[in-house]
Amino acid sequence: MSDQQLDCALDLMRRLPPQQIEKNLSSLIDLVPDLCEDLLSSVDQPLKVARDLTAGKDYLLCDYNRDGDSYRSPWSNTYSPPLEDGALPSQKLRNFEILANEAFDQYREMYFEGGVSSVYLWDLDHGFAGVVLIKKAGDGSKNIKGCWDSIHVIEVQEKSGGRMAHYKLTSTVMLWLQTNKQASGTMNLGGSLTRQTEADHAVTESQSHLINIGRMVEDMENKIRSMLNSIYFGKTKDIVNGLRSVIPSSDARVQEALRSDLAHALKSRQKMPDS
Amino acid sequence: MAHLDEPISETEKIRVVSDFILHAPPGEFNEVFNDVRTILNDDRLLKEGASQAFTRYNKDQYTPCRIQGHPEPTLISEFGELEEGRFLDPRTHQSFAFDQLRKEASDYRPHPPHPIAEQWRAAFDQEITKYKNEHYKNGACAVYGAVDEKGDISLVLCIEAHQFAPQNFWNGRWRSRWTVTFSPGDEAELTGTLKAQVHYYEDGNVQLVSHKECLRSVHMKDPAEAARELTSLISEEENIYQNALAENYQTMSETTFKALRRQLPVTRTKFEWGKFMSYKIGSELKQA
Repeated sequence: MSDQQLDCALDLMRRLPPQQIEKNLSSLIDLVPDLCEDLLSSVDQPLKVARDLTAGKDYLLCDYNRDGDSYRSPWSNTYSPPLEDGALPSQKLRNFEILANEAFDQYREMYFEGGVSSVYLWDLDHGFAGVVLIKKAGDGSKNIKGCWDSIHVIEVQEKSGGRMAHYKLTSTVMLWLQTNKQASGTMNLGGSLTRQTEADHAVTESQSHLINIGRMVEDMENKIRSMLNSIYFGKTKDIVNGLRSVIPSSDARVQEALRSDLAHALKSRQKMPDS
Repeated sequence: MAHLDEPISETEKIRVVSDFILHAPPGEFNEVFNDVRTILNDDRLLKEGASQAFTRYNKDQYTPCRIQGHPEPTLISEFGELEEGRFLDPRTHQSFAFDQLRKEASDYRPHPPHPIAEQWRAAFDQEITKYKNEHYKNGACAVYGAVDEKGDISLVLCIEAHQFAPQNFWNGRWRSRWTVTFSPGDEAELTGTLKAQVHYYEDGNVQLVSHKECLRSVHMKDPAEAARELTSLISEEENIYQNALAENYQTMSETTFKALRRQLPVTRTKFEWGKFMSYKIGSELKQA
């Protein structure tokens, strides 16, 4: 019954307005408290930002850097509020985590020119897993509030004695746009798209993992950005214009008849010998 | 949020579940209802508490309803609700029983209109139905007329249009509600609420949720003149709203979206992951 309940909960979250994700998730957990952990780890929520006072930098919060009610900063590797024995990556993995945070910090600056990023890694039996998070809020110009949240979950399984690895990437990008203007009232266009990919790559040197992961995440994010563009500003707009037409249908018919007459006239012109 | 030791009460469960059902996107009531049913896992409680959910949802969505023997559909709304699950079609002066699941009318009975309101209602209905057919490809509308205790006449117009394409993972609906309360011959206030909702859900969940309140002044001179003026104002306001939405789409895509994330870095090439590593190693060697 639990599996079915989880499936239905996830389906419900795909249908209810994403503008209320947090409220809906909270209500779902109230209804089925046993599914709390499963829901928190499988439902993507808009990323929250916290300040690491020791490091003087912002970091992002998600289920992967949470232990109880505390969150681990990728900069100082400590929990806030402090935890006696919060889960930490192994030293070797932490070294790689520091590098990954630096690399994605630069990547973020190149593509987003602002915003916050965080990378969290955890050990697996024959490899490791991680999440790359990026959040960028718009400056509210033109009276439109916008926000982008990236959540890339990567799983790396080492193979062939460490010379190859299998990478599995599940990426969700959330895009939120809201405006409140006289002529258009309240307009809220928001939600997310998710895509998955997996591939084998060679691991030839100590930093191959970062290069392989980096390329996969970058390509995936570029692809999703393009999808967001066509779905948000193409598809949903076309659907609205399919519901109602500003031009009355009788005018549209006259215009169409004129267009067709003109096309016909041009065609017959082309068929005539040098005129 | 519930404390871990105390599960939420049955009343609270019903409130949550009813809220979910009411927020089902257009065309997806059945899917949301089935999800909720499995999650709640208590059919007795569901039946008890959410039995009104179907009706409430259909009223809220202005669900269209075909009327036997007539080309124009009516719609289900709070303004046409009668007793015992029956609804009014003001256009054909009939009431009918409405099957909330099948969305079908049956058991038609005559329902005489209000003698004073009817001439205003009918004139407006005629004009606005022409307008509806000109602008809404798959639309329905209903005009309700009533007289209050003070003797003022009120007209309420509801318009609905939808496109359902679940095989392509999208659904959309437009709803308008326009109200005018007046004394014949006087200036009156025409208020409107316009709503647009679109849901796209292939590999994700993207929704447009939009609404606008409108207010215009109208001279309710006589039924024919008022019908024309009302229709003209409504047409104007709905066009303004739709054009403003289009303008927002343009600004969002050309300005807001671009400012969130570039297509490519300023260098016009992808991020040099290999170079990052060699810069890192290079600077580490320098420090060594």
